[in-house]
Amino acid sequence: MAERDTEPTLVERWLQDQQQWQRTLFTYLDSMMKNDEFLMHMGNAMRGSLLAGKPYPSTPPQAAASPDDAATADRLDKVLFALHQLQGQMQDVLMTLDEIRAGAKTIGLKPDSARKPARATRTASGARKTGKRRTRP
Amino acid sequence: MERELEAMLARSEQTRARLDRLHDVLTSGGHYGTGATPATVVYQENKLRLLRLLDESGQPRTGPAVLFVPAPVSRYFILDLLPDRSFAGHVAKAGFDVFIIDFGAPGEEDRFADLEYYVEGLLRRSVRKVSAITSQPAINIVGYCLGGTLSLLYTALHPSTVSRLVLLTTMIDADVKGGIAWVAHQMGLGGESYDNPRLVPAVEIKGWFEMLAPGSNSLIGRVNDLWERLDEPVDRLRDVRTMATWVDDVVPAPGRLLAELYQQFGPGRNRLMARTATVGARPIDCAAMTMPVLSVSAAKDLIAPADGVDAIRSLVPHAEVMRLPGGHVGIVAGRTALALWQRTVEFLTAP
Repeated sequence: MAERDTEPTLVERWLQDQQQWQRTLFTYLDSMMKNDEFLMHMGNAMRGSLLAGKPYPSTPPQAAASPDDAATADRLDKVLFALHQLQGQMQDVLMTLDEIRAGAKTIGLKPDSARKPARATRTASGARKTGKRRTRP
Repeated sequence: MERELEAMLARSEQTRARLDRLHDVLTSGGHYGTGATPATVVYQENKLRLLRLLDESGQPRTGPAVLFVPAPVSRYFILDLLPDRSFAGHVAKAGFDVFIIDFGAPGEEDRFADLEYYVEGLLRRSVRKVSAITSQPAINIVGYCLGGTLSLLYTALHPSTVSRLVLLTTMIDADVKGGIAWVAHQMGLGGESYDNPRLVPAVEIKGWFEMLAPGSNSLIGRVNDLWERLDEPVDRLRDVRTMATWVDDVVPAPGRLLAELYQQFGPGRNRLMARTATVGARPIDCAAMTMPVLSVSAAKDLIAPADGVDAIRSLVPHAEVMRLPGGHVGIVAGRTALALWQRTVEFLTAP
């Protein structure tokens, strides 16, 4: 009898549920106002994604460029990409120089380097450094 | 009447609980957007970063070098997703000196980047850098998806610099039904232009992947899937969020690269299988690859069908070919990915 008295009625459970709904609603409103990223994450969730940290990918707006502007931008992009390619070639040169320096140190060409068993390395040109031991892949 | 009210109340409670869990997930911190394992950048070129994983004390390891090569059209951190779910981290803990390429997000000018730029430029110099840092003239390479294609092409051109090659879900025979290129080909979609390339927007790349499962990847399908998942515990939802932050965070792609990949390796062209593939002016000869090769396919792979991946046997007869249950992403970073990781470590450490 005592247990049945403590069980909430259906009406009481509905009221509790309504109060919980209010808490949920205020929690969302609170986050929307205080948390800048929350709206973005909610937007992603409404697209069915839990993507965090950035908006869900969408089609970028097409810039209305005149043909002349588009041609100029195209030329600039080609120049910029050519610079990236040059950067890569420079990196190759620098790596080759590093390998040459490392090889020189190993075979003791520098007067203050400690003598160590030489290890053969291949330079970019394929030339093999002389040494006591050759490594193979 | 009372039963109906009870049912409505139960539905109301379930809906509210789902919204509460969604709020918890959306407002919780957690790991997403970058690799999980501490790493240092050892080389940069254009948008590429070469990362070297560090151990618990913040120091690089000194074991045999392993270079992970992800697909340039998706984020690299699928290979290093979570602290307790990291393929690269697992290999590192097994004693290897692990490096990962982060190709980054191409800019508008990178639409002119072609296969030669990726293979003979970015990848070759990354391998060279790893060799220089570790003093190992030949290193291990693990290529995933399109990263596997680039790794295969690189290894055929520079076999002496690769000690072991692992290819994960790497499409070889494009005439096998299924996969992105095949579906696009069947739908009659025009390929990208090599001569007048564009930077293909990320949303379009995403759309191609979604083409493979139209029902579940529609807006309604996605929203419904997420809504149903909100009954799961918050911890599990956080994991889902981390994966979603990889799945949905795609990058744009150079149109020239895609054009060349389609023209060489697309359905009906299939130049790898025909042994007429080239990178720049250099022919690809897989017979030059005598090092151990492991190729892994996923039985339920919609992106790179298993039969198309297993065709590596015809190019590299001595390759070990393995098929694992699961999908394209699941075998690498899903909850059952440990089987692949363990097999990879065994392969890399075999005498």
